Amino acid sequence: MTMLGKAEYGVTTFFTRSHPNDKCGANGLPLTPNSVKVLGRFQGLKHLKHPQICKYLDIVKDKHERMVIVCEHYRNCLSSKSSTFSSREKLTEIAYGVLKGLAYLNSIGITHRNLSKDNILFDAEGQVKLAEYGLYYMTGYGAEVAFPIGMPQYLAPEVLAEAPITVDEHSDVEPEVLNPSGPKVDVWSLGMILLEMMCAQDLWTGLTMPQIFHKIFAFLKTDQSPLQSIAKDNSLTETLKTLTPDVVEFLNKCLTVSVKHRPSPSELLKDDIFTELRLKEVPYRNGFQLFSTESRCKDLELPVYGENGTIMQDFDFDHLSLRNMEEVYYLWRLAGGDLEALLRKEGLVITKPPITLLPSFCTNEGDVFGQRRDRAELLDSIVITASQEQLRNRLSEVDEKAYYPLLEDEQSSMTSSLPLSPSSSDLTNTASLPLVIKEKDVEYQFHRIILYERLLKAYPYKRAHIWKEARVDIPPLVRAPVWAALLEVEGDIEGLYNSIDKDTITPTDRQIEVDIPRCHQYHELLSSPTAHVKFKRVLKAWVVSHPEYVYWQGLDSLCAPFLALNFTNEALAYACLTAFIPKYLHKIFLKDNSQVIQEYLAVFSHLIAFHDPELGNHLDGIGFIPDLYAIPWFLTMYAHVFPLHKIVHLWDTLLLGNSSFPLCIGVAILQQFRDRLLSFGFNECILLFSDMPEIDIQRCVQDSIKIFCSTPKSATYRQHARPPKKAQKEESRPNLSYYSRDYNDQPSTDLSMEPIPIEELKREKVPRISAEDLIELGELTGPAHSKSPTKRKQNSKPMLLVVDVRTDSDWLKQHHVTTCKSSYKPEWFAGVQKSW
Amino acid sequence: MANRAGAQRPNGATQGKICQFKLVLLGESAVGKSSLVLRFVKGQFHEYQESTIGAAFLTQTVCLDDTTVKFEIWDTAGQERYHSLAPMYYRGAQAAIVVYDITNQDTFGRAKTWVKELQRQASPNIVIALAGNKSDLSNKRMVEYEEAQAYAEENSLLFMETSAKTAMNVNDIFLAIAKKLPKNEGGGAAQPRQQGMKINNSETSQASEGGCCK
Repeated sequence: MTMLGKAEYGVTTFFTRSHPNDKCGANGLPLTPNSVKVLGRFQGLKHLKHPQICKYLDIVKDKHERMVIVCEHYRNCLSSKSSTFSSREKLTEIAYGVLKGLAYLNSIGITHRNLSKDNILFDAEGQVKLAEYGLYYMTGYGAEVAFPIGMPQYLAPEVLAEAPITVDEHSDVEPEVLNPSGPKVDVWSLGMILLEMMCAQDLWTGLTMPQIFHKIFAFLKTDQSPLQSIAKDNSLTETLKTLTPDVVEFLNKCLTVSVKHRPSPSELLKDDIFTELRLKEVPYRNGFQLFSTESRCKDLELPVYGENGTIMQDFDFDHLSLRNMEEVYYLWRLAGGDLEALLRKEGLVITKPPITLLPSFCTNEGDVFGQRRDRAELLDSIVITASQEQLRNRLSEVDEKAYYPLLEDEQSSMTSSLPLSPSSSDLTNTASLPLVIKEKDVEYQFHRIILYERLLKAYPYKRAHIWKEARVDIPPLVRAPVWAALLEVEGDIEGLYNSIDKDTITPTDRQIEVDIPRCHQYHELLSSPTAHVKFKRVLKAWVVSHPEYVYWQGLDSLCAPFLALNFTNEALAYACLTAFIPKYLHKIFLKDNSQVIQEYLAVFSHLIAFHDPELGNHLDGIGFIPDLYAIPWFLTMYAHVFPLHKIVHLWDTLLLGNSSFPLCIGVAILQQFRDRLLSFGFNECILLFSDMPEIDIQRCVQDSIKIFCSTPKSATYRQHARPPKKAQKEESRPNLSYYSRDYNDQPSTDLSMEPIPIEELKREKVPRISAEDLIELGELTGPAHSKSPTKRKQNSKPMLLVVDVRTDSDWLKQHHVTTCKSSYKPEWFAGVQKSW
Repeated sequence: MANRAGAQRPNGATQGKICQFKLVLLGESAVGKSSLVLRFVKGQFHEYQESTIGAAFLTQTVCLDDTTVKFEIWDTAGQERYHSLAPMYYRGAQAAIVVYDITNQDTFGRAKTWVKELQRQASPNIVIALAGNKSDLSNKRMVEYEEAQAYAEENSLLFMETSAKTAMNVNDIFLAIAKKLPKNEGGGAAQPRQQGMKINNSETSQASEGGCCK
């Protein structure tokens, strides 16, 4: 966790290079916009964590390929404080800090390539913080933007010697940087920057860019060391003499023309000049990460108590600054933080009338001339700081204690964990509002996020508590880890995922490759090339490690929500998918799944008849059977038929239910279109669902819970459902076991359900229920201990009407007092169903 | 009403006879089956057309002289695994379009297997059309026009190269099928409503009222 501390949010913006409109890739599809490529690559940057780098927080794709980037920011930078940093000690400290940051970035394959005095920042403690280090990486080494990256005067000679990126507008081949710059270019830049700092003067200030390039190229032609040449050129020879030999030596190492002989950042860190600093260094603690096997107390620091029990540490009363930087940013946006408005206010979004950008001459072939270059395409290095004022005002009323909610209070029930809020009357009121409103409420989200964050830290110990809270809602910010917790993901997921062979070519590859570029591609992140690579790896990993199953089209859709949520944590996405499938799709991905699917669909049509006999009869009558429309529903748990923003809300609830819950969702969907379906014939019905119509997902979720609670458990019995889990600890999910447990997980007795042959099952119109449920629902044993969710008060009406359809003689022989005798009149049933 | 198809077609006038035909699209996945249907029915093209799971159903009406031909189109999933479902869609179909991708030789091979299967197992009078889709990508062509045409002639199939993206030959192939379908014996062609039932393996005997001209 990176604490906010005294950091501010810096906002920068640039344009990606846009493709000509009519260009297509080799597959006939339009080229992926560069902005989307940048978007995908950026995600990896968000998770970089090191004390010497500023944390990237967010990227937003705006109109016309404009990218807006939010990053941790400090107002102090090297260029603003030149004179105060000229002492040798201070400068070696800075150099050491920069090199540590660079070495970390290099270790994950990132080259800064853009180092300058403007992006070496200092935090409140004076620690070096590198900024803008991701620009070169995220833009595909500069290929996806129309501006050059890097300050000319700090560029290493080999960067200039490289062939420029040529963009052929008329070929469909993407420009690629063949030789992206390596880590050593940054060492040269650092050398130049240090030299400027030592001499307290900027070099080559009066020169034009070609002149600067000429100077740099000149180093290649002479035997003299660049340091000497520069000194001579700028009459700095005297200044250099004042420097100690080890400093001159160090500068010479940095400013080595030959890349081969120039040290890399990690090599330079071992330089003698840093001996003292190395000794003083405190090892960097990365902090605890969820879902890893690392001991979570490894880096734990306990507060030091003084003699009279007071905490010796300086206690920071700015509680918000102790919160996670990303979390505060999330709340900042909820509190009205608007990036575009900010840019506009600072004059960074200058909209020109499009007509002024038209070319003056255009040929029939589409070549254009005389088009003035829009200055907006260039990089504007201005960083705007976003004020946290608004958010802090919103949260100023929040009690200090709210930052540290107690979890161990035995009395606390579900909603009482929401503390009273002084500004609005009560947060529990908010808890009952529609989800869309709750998700936009700053204070509500603030409390929920803090609570979940604490609970997740205590996962799996606090699993039961997480379940309980998840029944209220799941804040979008913590959805990924909460889902993983609900799916009971545990153990060394990283190690497991890394051990799976995701590279060897398999016969399934072609299918996966054609499916991915069509799966939820309206989602910007999932349409990026980065996503496609990850997508393929996760799917291949699943197929390879589940030899009993095969890849069915639809598995891609199923994977999409997990990948979108855990974009930078493939292992967790994989772990969630792997936990989800046996829970809800047991045996569905068998090579021959016809029995499993047939049974599933038969039970589904029974449920329709059970809950809505009129609709059931109608649909059955026109031949609108689930086989024709519901296969994509169940095969993908609705991930193929809904957009992602709806799926997440549906699954928030789905994950709390058992394996029969999806059936209830299906019934709820049909009921939402009940009137239309009843008036429709076969063709209209099937057309309605061939393109899933707009659906009120919130209502659908509510309805399916109602349907689920009023379905006798045995009515959803499926012989192909997952067999009972072995020895599950009961206490892990107290009071919830009924909802989340499957029928098969209940102890089976003589009165339990027996498998029915599929043909028979399909012939039947309504569900069977077990003798247990009959006794239970009819209260045939008296007001016994009810274990069904359809619990009722003692004096309410019976929930079940039993009609005895045996022959008269059988009935006379023996019958239960509460049952009715009938010679089977269908009207009976109409009444029974209504009473549900 | 849900019959969006009819509304958009300029030639959807209702005069003379009305015939209804069941048409099924078959072929390897990602060759453009759903795109062809979407182009024909709604006149649209989605670059990132989602994969089809199970099957999708759409209808479209075309006019031929004095006959109105209504296609009930079953667009099937292309993945080999869904093969076991296919018979339930092509059973009782009067027409089929077998689609391949001209930039991929394997899909042409798969199309041939589909043709064989239809000849063996579908209704004997089924009209089969072969569509070489993605003809806008002819610079990436892997299946020669002549090769496919020769194959089509051998097997007496209708054949066209189509492009769902540019709309080339899309309406034409459906029209060609409509022309070739027998429209005289009202009963044979007009098999309304029952389509849904036919798919059901169990021989349920619900009366299927409704008729074709609703």
